Amino acid sequence: MIELKELQCAFNGRVILENVSLKIDSHISVLGANGSGKSTLAKAICDLVAFSGTVFIAGKKTQEYTLNERAKLLSYIPAKLEIHDPYISVEEFVLLGRFAHKKSLFDYSDKDKNITLQTLEFLNIVHLKENPVSSLSSGEQQLVLIAQALTQQSKIIIFDEPTANLDPHNAKIIAQHIKGLKEWHQIILITHDLHLACYVDSPVVFIKDKTAAFYEKEFFDDARLEELYGVAFESLAVKYV
Amino acid sequence: MFKFALWFFLLAILVISPFIGAVSLNLGDILNADTLARNIFFELRLPRVLFAFAAGSILALSGLLFQTLFRNALMTPYTLGISSGAVLGAGIALKLGLGTLFFGVAAISIFGFLGALFTVFLLLYLAQFLRSGHHESLLLLGIALSLFYTAALMVVFYLGSAMQNDVLIRFTMGSLSIIGWQTPLLLAFVAFMLFVGIYLYRFELQLLSISEHQAQLKGINTKRVTLILLLLSSLGIGILVSISGPIGFVGLIVPHIVAKIYPQTINKRILKTALFGGFFLVFCDTLTRGLQTQSELPIGIVTALIGGPFFIYLIISKGKK
Repeated sequence: MIELKELQCAFNGRVILENVSLKIDSHISVLGANGSGKSTLAKAICDLVAFSGTVFIAGKKTQEYTLNERAKLLSYIPAKLEIHDPYISVEEFVLLGRFAHKKSLFDYSDKDKNITLQTLEFLNIVHLKENPVSSLSSGEQQLVLIAQALTQQSKIIIFDEPTANLDPHNAKIIAQHIKGLKEWHQIILITHDLHLACYVDSPVVFIKDKTAAFYEKEFFDDARLEELYGVAFESLAVKYV
Repeated sequence: MFKFALWFFLLAILVISPFIGAVSLNLGDILNADTLARNIFFELRLPRVLFAFAAGSILALSGLLFQTLFRNALMTPYTLGISSGAVLGAGIALKLGLGTLFFGVAAISIFGFLGALFTVFLLLYLAQFLRSGHHESLLLLGIALSLFYTAALMVVFYLGSAMQNDVLIRFTMGSLSIIGWQTPLLLAFVAFMLFVGIYLYRFELQLLSISEHQAQLKGINTKRVTLILLLLSSLGIGILVSISGPIGFVGLIVPHIVAKIYPQTINKRILKTALFGGFFLVFCDTLTRGLQTQSELPIGIVTALIGGPFFIYLIISKGKK
């Protein structure tokens, strides 16, 4: 569904990704060291950073979509919630996911509001709906971000380091949701968290030396991990089950 | 209960306001036809209350808009130098002695608007060179621009005659003295249009107040929406400043007070901010007339005396977090 052709990204004169060509037809997990360009890859797919080369989504160049059309195809969940409205409630925040679906200049419809409530129930956070988003814990905020992406009803969901700020308990909850969502959405998971990637169990794209290598399966092998990360592993003993 | 009392108090001021001033009026005189009191009431005081209300709404709405679009509590047309740009434009028109130019619109209004507009474009242009999200630098740019404009206004001042300078000085301190209904009605219309414009974009603003990237990913053309709203607000500020001179701090404090009283998401605060801004400026204006000073205190001085300490309080309370 996503195809990258000769993608090249530079930031402040430093080349981060060079000549990356990839066909992403199904779920993938993107792994790599700090600063290897994982997040840049995600942002290039979302057209949030400048790049050369081409990104196709569903056969069409990203720039050829209107922003509204693209929002219906693709949603992006950042690692950490950035929010400058300290008063917006969870329900109001999640409803914003419906923006691309509502008639411009009109209010959100009852259907939009119902979808929002169903999503909050699905993620077990309906009890938080009146609370200001800014008052929630990191784990709750991540769930609220997922809820917003789900109300957007896009085919593709990109998770950018979803467990980076979470304790193991909350990380497990998020991991379960991500794995479950594979049934309805194409999930692109960008992460450092090997336990998460192992649990979600998608094919892996590993970014190293500015290029991407594709591993259909058998990525989580101690010898391979040592070769890629340069650190010895005594198997991923602490796995989510 | 507190909220009810507050709105009641503000409404009471609105009703009492036209009776207060250098000449005290009572209801009996006003109801008598052809008295001086009746004239003062209907041709000076009532239009002035409407003028103050509309001006307060424009300032408060613009403040709310700027704080939301730039995601910074200290952003207002005043702190970003846009008011100063309008003052300089109006000052130049005054100095050149321009009267009415097009379709009965005073040159001073057109120059004021152009000054505001020029400053907005200059800020947008300069903002490209800042690292994205570094809005503090934008604020510093605004302050630099303000100082520059003030210096340029001084040059205009030194080139002017004593008569022109007297008008100019009075102008830079902000004044709500007007005669007749034409100006207040024009300004009320501008305030209404600004409100309607912001209200139509309330959902876009709600997303923009979260983050620019998220707004884009949800389907908003952030650059276009930002530009439309900034232009609309500059139009309002430019027209207002060219009539009244700069009135500082209203755009800064009113949105904050409303948010403290009503901790709600932005699109539920638009109407409240517009109304509260109107009431607040009527209150300040009533003070200037009620104080019985030798000559009437300029409104800009009153709002600065209230707003200055509040500004300091804001910065300190922000630092505490």
